[in-house]
Amino acid sequence: MPREHKEYRSKAHIYSDILGSLLKHGGKSGPTRILYGANLSYDRLMKHLNQLIELGLIQEEKENNESIFKLTDKGRNFILEFAKVEKFAEAFGITI
Amino acid sequence: MSLDYRLLVFLMELASSAISFVVGYYALKAYKTTGAKGLLLLYMGFLVLGIGTFLRVLTATYASVILRAYPTIEHLSLTGLVNLAAFVYTITQLIAYGLFTATYILQATSPAKITRANAETAAISSAAAAPLIVKLFFIPSLELVAITLLGFVTIYTFTNWLLKRQTAAALVFLGFGLMLLSHIFFLLIILEEVSLLFLVLGQTTQLAGFMCLITMLAKVSRTNA
Repeated sequence: MPREHKEYRSKAHIYSDILGSLLKHGGKSGPTRILYGANLSYDRLMKHLNQLIELGLIQEEKENNESIFKLTDKGRNFILEFAKVEKFAEAFGITI
Repeated sequence: MSLDYRLLVFLMELASSAISFVVGYYALKAYKTTGAKGLLLLYMGFLVLGIGTFLRVLTATYASVILRAYPTIEHLSLTGLVNLAAFVYTITQLIAYGLFTATYILQATSPAKITRANAETAAISSAAAAPLIVKLFFIPSLELVAITLLGFVTIYTFTNWLLKRQTAAALVFLGFGLMLLSHIFFLLIILEEVSLLFLVLGQTTQLAGFMCLITMLAKVSRTNA
């Protein structure tokens, strides 16, 4: 039977949630807002944010000595692509 | 008449093969984005299905061209090739359906007797051989296996549609459901008198199934974040 409720989120799903949270805040946000939006612990969030920076999906900037994360064009494309892929997988009943 | 239906069948199979490759390509793209193993199996399934169908189109076209160019040719000389192509095609289909079944399991957890055409019947031998080639391309016992595997996939995608109530999920269910129906028609090709009718019905429903999948793909591609 297809699983309606996901037991866990894949890495791609977490990336999408983080980037989606950034997009919701105008493409630019501090870690606390992202943390709530992506439903992650602080440690896990920082780990994923570093990976997203390495992948070029976000950029880190300093504003008033605070870290601000900005969505890149590549990040925006990822969100769009992931939404399509998610629909495709859902249509086939595949959990991603 | 005979050539017309063959051309129609070949075109339908060619279209089915092309759609299979397109859906497979999209599944690969989705796998690369998410790393979900189910999508990899889906990609492999559609790739194998596309290759098998394309090989059948090639072989059937070759056999038809030979029969048309050399109407007096001994049909026996083509039987081996057609039998091999039929076997390869059926096996690739079963592998593909097996992969689709594995996707969802992972997700939840006799050659006909041929006679030589004589000189008087040479002009019509090509047309007469066409149904024979058609019948050789389908192996009833293996069609039953295909029906079983596709039956499982269809039930799964139907359940998925019931849960999601999305158009894309409905199109996938319809796609696999029509493919299942096409195999039931292919199985009925064993009935002598109406074999051509069931061949055309089978090919039409198969193509309709693939059309559902390409429609789903077009719908999904228009998704906005």
